[in-house]
Amino acid sequence: MTVELRAALEERLSLLFGGEVRVGQLALLAGGASMEAWAVDAQTPRGPMPLLLRRGAGGRIFRDALSLSQEHRVLQAAWEAGVKVPRPYGYLGEILGREAFVMERLQGETVGRRLVQRPEFAAARAVLPGQMAQELARIHKIDPAPLEFLPGTSASSPLLHGLETLAAQLESLGEPHPSLELGLLHLRRQLPPDGPRVVCHGDFRVGNFMVGAEGLVAVLDWEFAHLGDPREDLSWAMVRAWRFRADQLRLGGIAQPEEFLDRYAALTGRSVTLAELRPFELLGNLRWAVGALTQARRHLSGEERSVELAVLGRLAAEIEHEVLSLLEEGKS
Amino acid sequence: MQNRPTAAELAEAVRNFLEEEIGPALQDPRLRFRALVAANALSILGRDLSLGEGLLREEVELLSGLLGVHGDAPSLNAELCRRIRRGGPPAGTLAALRRIAELKLRIASPRYLESGR
Repeated sequence: MTVELRAALEERLSLLFGGEVRVGQLALLAGGASMEAWAVDAQTPRGPMPLLLRRGAGGRIFRDALSLSQEHRVLQAAWEAGVKVPRPYGYLGEILGREAFVMERLQGETVGRRLVQRPEFAAARAVLPGQMAQELARIHKIDPAPLEFLPGTSASSPLLHGLETLAAQLESLGEPHPSLELGLLHLRRQLPPDGPRVVCHGDFRVGNFMVGAEGLVAVLDWEFAHLGDPREDLSWAMVRAWRFRADQLRLGGIAQPEEFLDRYAALTGRSVTLAELRPFELLGNLRWAVGALTQARRHLSGEERSVELAVLGRLAAEIEHEVLSLLEEGKS
Repeated sequence: MQNRPTAAELAEAVRNFLEEEIGPALQDPRLRFRALVAANALSILGRDLSLGEGLLREEVELLSGLLGVHGDAPSLNAELCRRIRRGGPPAGTLAALRRIAELKLRIASPRYLESGR
Protein backbone atom coordinates (compact mmCIF):
# COMPACT_ATOMS: atom_id res chain seq x y z
CA MET A 1 0.00 0.00 0.00
CA THR A 2 2.71 2.47 1.01
CA VAL A 3 4.77 1.51 -2.07
CA GLU A 4 1.86 2.17 -4.42
CA LEU A 5 0.98 5.40 -2.61
CA ARG A 6 4.58 6.63 -2.86
CA ALA A 7 4.69 5.99 -6.61
CA ALA A 8 1.32 7.67 -7.19
CA LEU A 9 2.33 10.63 -5.03
CA GLU A 10 5.68 11.12 -6.79
CA GLU A 11 3.86 11.29 -10.12
CA ARG A 12 1.25 13.84 -8.95
CA LEU A 13 3.67 15.97 -6.97
CA SER A 14 6.05 16.13 -9.94
CA LEU A 15 3.21 17.63 -12.00
CA LEU A 16 2.26 19.99 -9.16
CA PHE A 17 5.75 21.32 -8.53
CA GLY A 18 6.83 21.29 -12.20
CA GLY A 19 9.82 18.96 -11.88
CA GLU A 20 10.89 15.66 -10.46
CA VAL A 21 9.73 15.01 -6.92
CA ARG A 22 10.98 12.13 -4.81
CA VAL A 23 9.17 11.03 -1.69
CA GLY A 24 11.28 10.00 1.29
CA GLN A 25 9.56 9.24 4.55
CA LEU A 26 5.85 8.49 4.26
CA ALA A 27 3.95 7.87 7.51
CA LEU A 28 0.27 7.60 8.39
CA LEU A 29 -0.35 10.07 11.23
CA ALA A 30 -4.06 9.56 11.65
CA GLY A 31 -6.49 7.26 9.98
CA GLY A 32 -10.20 7.17 10.41
CA ALA A 33 -13.39 6.56 8.58
CA SER A 34 -13.66 9.99 7.04
CA MET A 35 -10.07 11.13 6.61
CA GLU A 36 -6.44 10.06 6.56
CA ALA A 37 -3.43 12.27 7.25
CA TRP A 38 0.01 11.31 5.98
CA ALA A 39 3.35 12.93 6.75
CA VAL A 40 5.26 13.16 3.48
CA ASP A 41 8.90 14.23 3.19
CA ALA A 42 9.38 15.34 -0.40
CA GLN A 43 12.46 16.32 -2.39
CA THR A 44 11.17 18.89 -4.86
CA PRO A 45 12.61 21.37 -7.36
CA ARG A 46 12.07 23.96 -4.59
CA GLY A 47 14.16 21.89 -2.16
CA PRO A 48 13.12 19.55 0.63
CA MET A 49 9.49 20.11 1.72
CA PRO A 50 7.69 18.62 4.71
CA LEU A 51 4.15 18.01 3.42
CA LEU A 52 0.92 16.80 4.88
CA LEU A 53 -1.32 14.73 2.65
CA ARG A 54 -5.00 14.84 3.50
CA ARG A 55 -6.82 11.98 1.86
CA GLY A 56 -10.44 10.89 1.99
CA ALA A 57 -11.58 7.56 3.37
CA GLY A 58 -15.23 7.51 2.43
CA GLY A 59 -17.22 8.16 5.60
CA ARG A 60 -18.95 11.36 6.62
CA ILE A 61 -20.02 12.49 10.11
CA PHE A 62 -22.40 15.22 9.03
CA ARG A 63 -24.39 15.48 5.86
CA ASP A 64 -23.10 18.89 4.93
CA ALA A 65 -19.39 18.03 4.86
CA LEU A 66 -17.31 19.36 1.95
CA SER A 67 -15.48 17.23 -0.58
CA LEU A 68 -11.69 17.42 -0.44
CA SER A 69 -11.49 19.56 -3.58
CA GLN A 70 -13.91 22.03 -1.97
CA GLU A 71 -12.07 21.92 1.33
CA HIS A 72 -8.86 22.73 -0.52
CA ARG A 73 -10.48 25.77 -2.12
CA VAL A 74 -11.69 27.00 1.27
CA LEU A 75 -8.22 26.50 2.74
CA GLN A 76 -6.79 28.46 -0.18
CA ALA A 77 -9.23 31.30 0.46
CA ALA A 78 -8.39 31.28 4.18
CA TRP A 79 -4.67 31.35 3.42
CA GLU A 80 -5.15 34.31 1.09
CA ALA A 81 -7.23 36.10 3.74
CA GLY A 82 -4.34 35.81 6.19
CA VAL A 83 -5.91 33.19 8.46
CA LYS A 84 -3.35 31.04 10.30
CA VAL A 85 -3.62 27.79 8.33
CA PRO A 86 -1.16 25.32 6.83
CA ARG A 87 -0.28 26.66 3.38
CA PRO A 88 -2.23 24.64 0.79
CA TYR A 89 -0.05 23.46 -2.14
CA GLY A 90 -2.57 21.82 -4.38
CA TYR A 91 -5.49 19.49 -4.93
CA LEU A 92 -4.26 16.20 -6.36
CA GLY A 93 -7.46 14.60 -7.60
CA GLU A 94 -7.86 10.92 -6.79
CA ILE A 95 -4.86 9.05 -5.47
CA LEU A 96 -5.44 5.29 -5.57
CA GLY A 97 -9.17 5.89 -5.79
CA ARG A 98 -9.55 8.60 -3.15
CA GLU A 99 -9.41 12.37 -3.30
CA ALA A 100 -6.43 14.08 -1.72
CA PHE A 101 -4.63 17.39 -1.38
CA VAL A 102 -1.27 18.46 0.00
CA MET A 103 -0.41 21.27 2.34
CA GLU A 104 2.46 22.51 4.45
CA ARG A 105 3.25 20.26 7.45
CA LEU A 106 3.51 22.45 10.54
CA GLN A 107 4.79 21.53 13.99
CA GLY A 108 2.71 21.71 17.13
CA GLU A 109 0.30 19.95 19.45
CA THR A 110 -3.12 19.03 18.10
CA VAL A 111 -4.57 16.83 20.84
CA GLY A 112 -7.21 18.97 22.54
CA ARG A 113 -7.11 17.08 25.83
CA ARG A 114 -3.37 17.77 26.20
CA LEU A 115 -3.81 21.44 25.31
CA VAL A 116 -6.42 21.79 28.04
CA GLN A 117 -4.72 19.71 30.74
CA ARG A 118 -0.92 19.81 30.40
CA PRO A 119 1.05 22.40 32.39
CA GLU A 120 3.48 23.09 29.52
CA PHE A 121 0.62 24.73 27.59
CA ALA A 122 -0.35 27.13 30.40
CA ALA A 123 1.25 30.10 28.61
CA ALA A 124 -0.40 29.13 25.33
CA ARG A 125 -3.79 28.85 27.07
CA ALA A 126 -3.38 32.38 28.42
CA VAL A 127 -3.06 33.89 24.93
CA LEU A 128 -5.38 31.52 23.05
CA PRO A 129 -8.71 33.34 23.67
CA GLY A 130 -7.41 36.54 22.03
CA GLN A 131 -5.80 34.60 19.20
CA MET A 132 -8.99 32.60 18.61
CA ALA A 133 -10.95 35.87 18.34
CA GLN A 134 -8.37 37.23 15.91
CA GLU A 135 -8.56 34.19 13.62
CA LEU A 136 -12.33 34.00 13.75
CA ALA A 137 -12.54 37.69 12.83
CA ARG A 138 -10.35 36.95 9.78
CA ILE A 139 -12.35 33.85 8.85
CA HIS A 140 -15.63 35.74 9.01
CA LYS A 141 -14.22 38.34 6.60
CA ILE A 142 -13.38 35.78 3.88
CA ASP A 143 -15.17 36.70 0.65
CA PRO A 144 -17.81 33.99 0.08
CA ALA A 145 -18.42 34.91 -3.59
CA PRO A 146 -15.87 32.47 -5.14
CA LEU A 147 -16.96 29.72 -2.71
CA GLU A 148 -20.41 29.24 -4.25
CA PHE A 149 -20.43 25.53 -3.26
CA LEU A 150 -20.55 26.23 0.48
CA PRO A 151 -23.60 24.67 2.17
CA GLY A 152 -26.12 27.26 3.26
CA THR A 153 -25.49 29.47 0.23
CA SER A 154 -29.00 29.17 -1.12
CA ALA A 155 -30.87 28.79 2.18
CA SER A 156 -33.16 31.67 3.09
CA SER A 157 -32.29 31.20 6.75
CA PRO A 158 -29.00 29.36 7.42
CA LEU A 159 -30.06 28.67 10.98
CA LEU A 160 -33.34 27.09 9.97
CA HIS A 161 -31.50 25.16 7.27
CA GLY A 162 -29.08 23.83 9.91
CA LEU A 163 -31.95 22.89 12.18
CA GLU A 164 -33.86 21.04 9.47
CA THR A 165 -30.74 19.16 8.31
CA LEU A 166 -30.17 18.06 11.89
CA ALA A 167 -33.80 16.99 12.39
CA ALA A 168 -33.66 14.87 9.23
CA GLN A 169 -30.39 13.26 10.27
CA LEU A 170 -31.79 12.51 13.74
CA GLU A 171 -34.86 10.91 12.23
CA SER A 172 -32.75 8.74 9.91
CA LEU A 173 -30.99 7.16 12.91
CA GLY A 174 -34.12 5.10 13.53
CA GLU A 175 -33.74 5.34 17.31
CA PRO A 176 -35.97 7.58 19.45
CA HIS A 177 -34.21 10.43 21.30
CA PRO A 178 -36.86 12.52 23.05
CA SER A 179 -34.33 14.79 24.77
CA LEU A 180 -32.87 15.83 21.41
CA GLU A 181 -36.37 16.26 19.94
CA LEU A 182 -37.19 18.53 22.87
CA GLY A 183 -34.09 20.61 22.13
CA LEU A 184 -35.08 20.92 18.47
CA LEU A 185 -38.63 21.94 19.43
CA HIS A 186 -37.28 24.61 21.78
CA LEU A 187 -35.08 26.06 19.01
CA ARG A 188 -37.89 26.01 16.43
CA ARG A 189 -40.08 27.98 18.81
CA GLN A 190 -37.40 30.47 19.79
CA LEU A 191 -35.36 30.70 16.64
CA PRO A 192 -33.09 33.74 16.99
CA PRO A 193 -33.48 36.32 14.21
CA ASP A 194 -31.01 35.76 11.38
CA GLY A 195 -27.70 37.53 11.80
CA PRO A 196 -25.20 38.46 9.14
CA ARG A 197 -24.18 35.70 6.78
CA VAL A 198 -20.47 34.88 6.73
CA VAL A 199 -18.04 32.09 5.92
CA CYS A 200 -18.05 29.89 9.04
CA HIS A 201 -15.31 27.40 9.86
CA GLY A 202 -17.95 25.01 11.17
CA ASP A 203 -15.74 23.10 13.65
CA PHE A 204 -13.89 25.90 15.45
CA ARG A 205 -12.73 24.41 18.77
CA VAL A 206 -9.52 23.74 20.69
CA GLY A 207 -9.32 20.15 19.39
CA ASN A 208 -8.99 21.48 15.83
CA PHE A 209 -6.13 23.87 16.51
CA MET A 210 -2.41 23.31 16.24
CA VAL A 211 -0.76 25.00 19.19
CA GLY A 212 2.85 25.70 20.13
CA ALA A 213 4.49 27.33 23.14
CA GLU A 214 3.45 30.77 21.82
CA GLY A 215 -0.13 29.77 21.29
CA LEU A 216 -2.12 29.22 18.11
CA VAL A 217 -0.10 27.95 15.13
CA ALA A 218 -2.94 27.00 12.79
CA VAL A 219 -6.66 26.41 12.46
CA LEU A 220 -7.20 22.93 10.98
CA ASP A 221 -10.00 20.72 9.63
CA TRP A 222 -12.11 22.87 7.30
CA GLU A 223 -14.44 20.14 6.03
CA PHE A 224 -17.48 21.61 7.79
CA ALA A 225 -17.02 25.15 6.46
CA HIS A 226 -20.32 26.67 5.38
CA LEU A 227 -22.14 29.92 4.98
CA GLY A 228 -23.78 30.72 8.28
CA ASP A 229 -24.25 32.94 11.28
CA PRO A 230 -21.04 34.08 13.03
CA ARG A 231 -22.63 33.11 16.33
CA GLU A 232 -22.46 29.44 15.29
CA ASP A 233 -18.65 29.56 15.31
CA LEU A 234 -18.54 31.76 18.43
CA SER A 235 -20.60 29.28 20.44
CA TRP A 236 -19.18 25.97 19.11
CA ALA A 237 -16.00 26.26 21.21
CA MET A 238 -18.23 26.57 24.29
CA VAL A 239 -19.98 23.23 23.81
CA ARG A 240 -19.27 21.26 26.96
CA ALA A 241 -17.92 18.17 25.18
CA TRP A 242 -14.88 20.20 24.02
CA ARG A 243 -13.90 21.27 27.53
CA PHE A 244 -12.17 17.97 28.29
CA ARG A 245 -13.55 17.90 31.83
CA ALA A 246 -12.33 21.43 32.66
CA ASP A 247 -16.07 22.14 32.79
CA GLN A 248 -15.94 25.42 34.68
CA LEU A 249 -13.92 27.04 31.87
CA ARG A 250 -16.65 27.53 29.30
CA LEU A 251 -14.42 28.44 26.37
CA GLY A 252 -13.12 25.00 25.43
CA GLY A 253 -11.75 24.26 28.89
CA ILE A 254 -9.16 27.04 28.65
CA ALA A 255 -10.88 30.26 29.77
CA GLN A 256 -14.11 32.07 30.45
CA PRO A 257 -15.56 33.38 27.18
CA GLU A 258 -15.66 37.11 27.94
CA GLU A 259 -12.16 38.04 26.72
CA PHE A 260 -12.72 36.05 23.52
CA LEU A 261 -16.03 37.80 22.81
CA ASP A 262 -14.69 41.26 23.70
CA ARG A 263 -11.73 40.87 21.38
CA TYR A 264 -13.96 39.56 18.58
CA ALA A 265 -16.27 42.57 19.06
CA ALA A 266 -13.32 44.98 18.96
CA LEU A 267 -12.07 43.45 15.71
CA THR A 268 -15.36 43.05 13.86
CA GLY A 269 -17.72 45.57 15.43
CA ARG A 270 -20.06 42.66 16.22
CA SER A 271 -20.88 42.73 19.89
CA VAL A 272 -22.33 39.38 20.93
CA THR A 273 -23.61 38.66 24.44
CA LEU A 274 -23.46 35.32 26.21
CA ALA A 275 -27.26 35.31 26.45
CA GLU A 276 -27.46 35.73 22.68
CA LEU A 277 -25.17 32.71 22.23
CA ARG A 278 -27.29 30.36 24.34
CA PRO A 279 -29.54 29.08 21.54
CA PHE A 280 -26.47 28.56 19.40
CA GLU A 281 -24.78 26.61 22.19
CA LEU A 282 -27.90 24.45 22.37
CA LEU A 283 -27.78 23.98 18.58
CA GLY A 284 -24.09 23.04 18.87
CA ASN A 285 -24.84 20.39 21.48
CA LEU A 286 -27.65 18.97 19.35
CA ARG A 287 -25.33 18.87 16.39
CA TRP A 288 -22.63 17.01 18.30
CA ALA A 289 -25.17 14.60 19.83
CA VAL A 290 -26.45 13.66 16.38
CA GLY A 291 -22.84 13.45 15.15
CA ALA A 292 -21.86 11.05 17.94
CA LEU A 293 -24.93 8.85 17.37
CA THR A 294 -24.16 8.81 13.64
CA GLN A 295 -20.61 7.68 14.39
CA ALA A 296 -21.94 4.77 16.46
CA ARG A 297 -24.22 3.85 13.53
CA ARG A 298 -21.18 3.62 11.28
CA HIS A 299 -19.86 0.90 13.56
CA LEU A 300 -23.21 -0.86 13.87
CA SER A 301 -23.84 -0.90 10.13
CA GLY A 302 -20.39 -2.40 9.52
CA GLU A 303 -19.31 0.64 7.50
CA GLU A 304 -16.41 1.01 9.89
CA ARG A 305 -15.95 -1.43 12.76
CA SER A 306 -14.39 0.47 15.66
CA VAL A 307 -14.67 0.25 19.42
CA GLU A 308 -14.16 4.04 19.58
CA LEU A 309 -17.17 4.69 17.37
CA ALA A 310 -19.24 2.07 19.21
CA VAL A 311 -18.66 3.70 22.61
CA LEU A 312 -19.75 7.10 21.25
CA GLY A 313 -23.30 5.75 21.03
CA ARG A 314 -23.38 5.32 24.80
CA LEU A 315 -21.37 8.45 25.58
CA ALA A 316 -23.93 10.50 23.64
CA ALA A 317 -25.96 10.26 26.88
CA GLU A 318 -23.60 12.95 28.25
CA ILE A 319 -24.62 15.32 25.47
CA GLU A 320 -28.31 14.51 25.95
CA HIS A 321 -27.88 15.39 29.62
CA GLU A 322 -26.20 18.69 28.68
CA VAL A 323 -29.02 19.52 26.22
CA LEU A 324 -31.54 19.07 29.04
CA SER A 325 -29.40 21.18 31.40
CA LEU A 326 -29.38 24.02 28.87
CA LEU A 327 -33.17 23.72 28.46
CA GLU A 328 -33.59 23.79 32.24
CA GLU A 329 -31.45 26.95 32.53
CA GLY A 330 -33.35 28.50 29.66
CA LYS A 331 -36.61 28.23 31.60
CA SER A 332 -35.43 30.29 34.56
CA MET B 1 -27.46 -21.69 36.35
CA GLN B 2 -23.95 -20.90 35.24
CA ASN B 3 -20.96 -21.16 37.50
CA ARG B 4 -19.39 -17.93 38.66
CA PRO B 5 -17.97 -15.61 37.44
CA THR B 6 -21.18 -13.81 36.59
CA ALA B 7 -21.40 -11.99 33.27
CA ALA B 8 -20.47 -8.70 34.99
CA GLU B 9 -17.51 -10.33 36.72
CA LEU B 10 -16.25 -11.70 33.40
CA ALA B 11 -16.48 -8.26 31.80
CA GLU B 12 -14.52 -6.89 34.76
CA ALA B 13 -11.81 -9.54 34.35
CA VAL B 14 -11.30 -8.65 30.68
CA ARG B 15 -11.32 -4.93 31.49
CA ASN B 16 -8.53 -5.39 34.04
CA PHE B 17 -6.54 -7.43 31.55
CA LEU B 18 -6.79 -4.68 28.91
CA GLU B 19 -6.06 -1.87 31.33
CA GLU B 20 -3.27 -3.41 33.36
CA GLU B 21 -1.54 -5.86 31.01
CA ILE B 22 -2.28 -5.02 27.37
CA GLY B 23 -2.36 -1.19 27.54
CA PRO B 24 1.07 -0.69 29.14
CA ALA B 25 2.65 -3.25 26.79
CA LEU B 26 1.58 -1.39 23.64
CA GLN B 27 4.12 0.90 21.94
CA ASP B 28 1.81 2.60 19.42
CA PRO B 29 0.04 5.43 21.29
CA ARG B 30 -3.04 5.20 19.05
CA LEU B 31 -3.36 1.50 19.80
CA ARG B 32 -2.87 2.16 23.52
CA PHE B 33 -5.65 4.75 23.41
CA ARG B 34 -7.98 2.28 21.71
CA ALA B 35 -7.16 -0.35 24.35
CA LEU B 36 -8.27 2.15 27.02
CA VAL B 37 -11.45 2.87 25.06
CA ALA B 38 -12.08 -0.89 24.88
CA ALA B 39 -11.54 -1.16 28.65
CA ASN B 40 -14.07 1.64 29.13
CA ALA B 41 -16.52 -0.22 26.87
CA LEU B 42 -16.21 -3.23 29.19
CA SER B 43 -16.84 -1.02 32.24
CA ILE B 44 -20.04 0.15 30.58
CA LEU B 45 -20.97 -3.44 29.79
CA GLY B 46 -20.32 -4.49 33.40
CA ARG B 47 -22.53 -1.72 34.80
CA ASP B 48 -25.21 -2.47 32.23
CA LEU B 49 -25.26 -6.13 33.27
CA SER B 50 -25.60 -5.29 36.97
CA LEU B 51 -27.85 -2.21 36.82
CA GLY B 52 -29.48 -2.25 33.39
CA GLU B 53 -32.68 -4.10 34.17
CA GLY B 54 -33.59 -2.02 37.22
CA LEU B 55 -32.83 1.29 35.49
CA LEU B 56 -34.81 0.32 32.41
CA ARG B 57 -37.82 -0.53 34.62
CA GLU B 58 -37.57 2.90 36.22
CA GLU B 59 -37.44 4.54 32.78
CA VAL B 60 -40.53 2.64 31.62
CA GLU B 61 -42.42 3.71 34.76
CA LEU B 62 -41.44 7.35 34.27
CA LEU B 63 -42.48 7.34 30.62
CA SER B 64 -45.74 5.47 31.25
CA GLY B 65 -46.64 7.96 33.96
CA LEU B 66 -45.79 10.88 31.71
CA LEU B 67 -47.69 9.62 28.66
CA GLY B 68 -50.55 7.77 30.38
CA VAL B 69 -50.01 4.68 28.21
CA HIS B 70 -48.26 1.35 28.67
CA GLY B 71 -45.58 -0.22 26.54
CA ASP B 72 -41.92 -1.13 26.39
CA ALA B 73 -39.09 1.42 26.46
CA PRO B 74 -38.60 1.75 22.68
CA SER B 75 -42.33 2.27 21.97
CA LEU B 76 -42.76 4.73 24.87
CA ASN B 77 -39.71 6.73 23.76
CA ALA B 78 -41.02 6.74 20.19
CA GLU B 79 -44.44 7.93 21.36
CA LEU B 80 -42.87 10.76 23.38
CA CYS B 81 -40.85 11.76 20.30
CA ARG B 82 -44.05 11.89 18.23
CA ARG B 83 -45.77 14.13 20.76
CA ILE B 84 -42.78 16.45 20.98
CA ARG B 85 -42.55 16.71 17.19
CA ARG B 86 -46.24 17.57 17.03
CA GLY B 87 -45.41 20.40 19.43
CA GLY B 88 -47.20 19.02 22.49
CA PRO B 89 -44.84 17.43 25.00
CA PRO B 90 -46.81 16.48 28.17
CA ALA B 91 -46.29 18.59 31.30
CA GLY B 92 -43.29 17.29 33.24
CA THR B 93 -41.42 16.08 30.13
CA LEU B 94 -38.22 17.98 30.89
CA ALA B 95 -38.02 16.73 34.49
CA ALA B 96 -38.72 13.12 33.45
CA LEU B 97 -36.15 13.23 30.67
CA ARG B 98 -33.54 14.66 33.02
CA ARG B 99 -34.13 11.82 35.43
CA ILE B 100 -33.86 9.30 32.57
CA ALA B 101 -30.65 10.94 31.33
CA GLU B 102 -29.22 10.46 34.82
CA LEU B 103 -30.24 6.80 34.80
CA LYS B 104 -28.52 6.32 31.43
CA LEU B 105 -25.37 8.04 32.69
CA ARG B 106 -25.16 5.78 35.73
CA ILE B 107 -24.27 3.08 33.21
CA ALA B 108 -22.64 5.03 30.38
CA SER B 109 -20.55 7.55 32.33
CA PRO B 110 -20.98 7.79 36.11
CA ARG B 111 -17.97 10.11 36.33
CA TYR B 112 -19.81 12.68 34.25
CA LEU B 113 -22.62 12.80 36.82
CA GLU B 114 -20.12 13.26 39.66
CA SER B 115 -18.42 16.19 37.92
CA GLY B 116 -21.73 18.05 38.24
CA ARG B 117 -22.56 21.31 36.58
